[in-house]
Amino acid sequence: MFLHYLDLSWRSFKRTPLVSFLMVLAIAIGIGVTMTSLSVYHMMSADPIPEKSSDLYTVQLQTMDEGRTWWTVDNMPLQLTYQDAVNLNQANAGGKRVTMVRTGFSVYLDSDKVKPFIGQARLTTPDFFDMFNLSFIYGGVWSTQQEADAAPVVVINKELNDKLFAGENPVGKMVYLDDASYEVIGVIDDWDITTKYYDLNNGAFNKTEQLFLPFSLMKARQLENWGNTNGWKHEKTNTFNDKLNSEMVWLQFWVELKTPAEKQAYQDFLMAYMQEQQKLGRFNREKLTATLRDVNEWMQYNNVVSEDNEILVGLSFMFLAVCLANILGLLLAKFLRRAPEVGVRRALGASKRQIFFQHIVEVAMLGFLGGILGIILAQVGLLGVRQSYSYYQSLATMDLTMLLSAPVIAISTCVIAGLYPAWLVCKTNPAIYLKSQ
Amino acid sequence: MLEIKPIFHALCRSKVGAILLLIQIAITTAIVSNAAFIIQDRVSYLSQETGYPEQDIFVFNVMMFGKDVSPSQQYELDEAMLRQIPGVVDAAYSSNTPLSGSGSSSDFSLKPAPEESKSARTSYMFIDEHGINTYGVKLIAGRNYTEDEVIVTDNYDELSKVTVVTKTLLDELFPEGNGLGQTVYFGDIPMKIIGVIDLMKGPWLKDSRPDNVALLPFIKPGTNARFVVRTEPGQRQSVMNRVEEAMLKNYNKRVISRIRGLDDDKESYMAEDTLMMRMLIVLITILVLVTALGIFGLTLFNISKRTKQIGTRRALGARKSAIISYFLVENAMICIVGLVIGVIAAVYLGQLLMQHFSISQLDISYVLATALAVFVMSLLAVLAPAKRAANISPSIATRTI
Repeated sequence: MFLHYLDLSWRSFKRTPLVSFLMVLAIAIGIGVTMTSLSVYHMMSADPIPEKSSDLYTVQLQTMDEGRTWWTVDNMPLQLTYQDAVNLNQANAGGKRVTMVRTGFSVYLDSDKVKPFIGQARLTTPDFFDMFNLSFIYGGVWSTQQEADAAPVVVINKELNDKLFAGENPVGKMVYLDDASYEVIGVIDDWDITTKYYDLNNGAFNKTEQLFLPFSLMKARQLENWGNTNGWKHEKTNTFNDKLNSEMVWLQFWVELKTPAEKQAYQDFLMAYMQEQQKLGRFNREKLTATLRDVNEWMQYNNVVSEDNEILVGLSFMFLAVCLANILGLLLAKFLRRAPEVGVRRALGASKRQIFFQHIVEVAMLGFLGGILGIILAQVGLLGVRQSYSYYQSLATMDLTMLLSAPVIAISTCVIAGLYPAWLVCKTNPAIYLKSQ
Repeated sequence: MLEIKPIFHALCRSKVGAILLLIQIAITTAIVSNAAFIIQDRVSYLSQETGYPEQDIFVFNVMMFGKDVSPSQQYELDEAMLRQIPGVVDAAYSSNTPLSGSGSSSDFSLKPAPEESKSARTSYMFIDEHGINTYGVKLIAGRNYTEDEVIVTDNYDELSKVTVVTKTLLDELFPEGNGLGQTVYFGDIPMKIIGVIDLMKGPWLKDSRPDNVALLPFIKPGTNARFVVRTEPGQRQSVMNRVEEAMLKNYNKRVISRIRGLDDDKESYMAEDTLMMRMLIVLITILVLVTALGIFGLTLFNISKRTKQIGTRRALGARKSAIISYFLVENAMICIVGLVIGVIAAVYLGQLLMQHFSISQLDISYVLATALAVFVMSLLAVLAPAKRAANISPSIATRTI
């Protein structure tokens, strides 16, 4: 029966090609506009590590003196001080822990084959790779001992390995970073995340780093951080050690907590830690606060999805509503003009239900065609977005979910629009039309 | 004369079509007026004056990995070399560059920290006496600092004692207008204001104080540095092409990167807003087209339904103009009701946007202008089908009855 209705729909489509085409075009434009903004929104807000996003927590500590304010909604600093980041890593609490900070180097080889260039780097404790599900193509991570010794070793990403070593196994080779040489001990595979959730400081959609080195190198070699450094009181920080001992915040810290019980235990630990630090003269305040946010909460807290995008998604759906009203009007015109034909069918024994179903199939087909054309329009729209804003390069694309949801949204809006006209036409009293023929 | 009553009765008999049109007009008005308001907001943000001749300025980054020279001495040599390049007006080491979205800021206060006093959020730049000329900004009062006042150093033993600030910053700290020559504090470091710059935007155009900028004559360069170069008009590209080679020739254990125009930096800082503006323009253009097509289609349908009726009216002596005015009035009636609802919806949507997002209060003139435009558009959309209706021959009426 369904196939028969489909056949009837196609005939009806061909009978009034202009009106049918206008309807398909209206739905396609609506879907195209909506899908363009929705795709960007979807990619921005997508969970970057769905398998464990609710197990990974970043820690915020309220280090500021009583009465001081920060620009965040809950007044909490976004990063940690060096003292806290190191203490939390060394304390025996919580699951895997990562303390890290972004930096960069001039990268070059002993040979003159590669012109020196700037490489983005991350100084991190070794659990990083395991925690964020990174896989190695060659070699592996540095040991705890190497971390403790500030060993001059480096893990590079695939892109850099292709550039420096033509994609061959580089383990054991040396690479120069600034004025020192480092031994390559591993290569990680491509890291496909659109949102750089583990460090949202300098652009949430920037590329991930190319070089990964032991965190202890920072102190040992006095490496500068490349992210944000924020203070809340006047401090003399003329030397590197001043900075390490200051109350300025500039480091990221993540911890893996698999159960609510573990999370609670870690909260208790943080409270105890802050009380202990209070005795040392820090945390000068009445109420101690420590916040744990998982990956998705952290992205929301940092407003990863821009306001503009939310407005655009809202406006696009209103736009879709206008297209819907448009289609409804056209459908009404089309279906009612066909009333005599329906009258004959009813007289020949077709039930109201069958008539209704037949018309719903017809609008669903229009919706499907509109959805397909809409995907093409959305691709054009996304191309425009990418052209106009290169930072959205990886965001302005449609993934499978979006590709599938386009026809689904198109068909469902069309069916909603078609309900009233279909109901109206199936109510047709056959007698009137039989009389005049 | 306009036959409103019979038209209204006729409308009541085909309510659904009219209501659909009404909804379209209402939503269109609501979206277009709010979008137009946001677009206007972005346009004025995107086209703001920055105080710089952006087309003639470029900046680049230097990262030294060689440790056999002192960065501060090397940068002095580089500056001298850059100023010698033909086509270059002036060049300077600059601790950070404006319009780029990255820089340094602090509070400048009337009393030394930790004493509480009036303070103003200020973005600051460490740059030598060539700064004002290199950035091409206008000194409107006082004087520039001299070469002797610039401290080039590797430590913090001696700090700068003077500063040149923008007028906006001066007015914020000293609203009485007696700021020139006074002392302000950068933390606990006292500095005398010796010069005032007219307009000079800081690194963040979206900052709460984008115009508060201070230039400090204190150079303590590290291995990372930024340089700014102003060229003669039209010479920028050729100088940009040569600068990497020239810098590496001076000293080669370093990387020269991100050679870009000041306007490029501004463009990428503003890219998201440009994108938003473009998307909104596309959105409202298509929306208005779709609505116009909707009105057009519906009128055509109405006419085909009423062919006989029109023929009868013509046969009974109605003029062509009467037929046209019938459709125009009918459409205008629907449109006005739709616009009234649309205006209310637009104001409500504006309120909603203001509550949830950082968007300012919708200016009612935008709503009214949009309403007027939609009204004109709907009349235009009706005009063509109405003319066609007027051409229906009176004989149609007699043919099939």
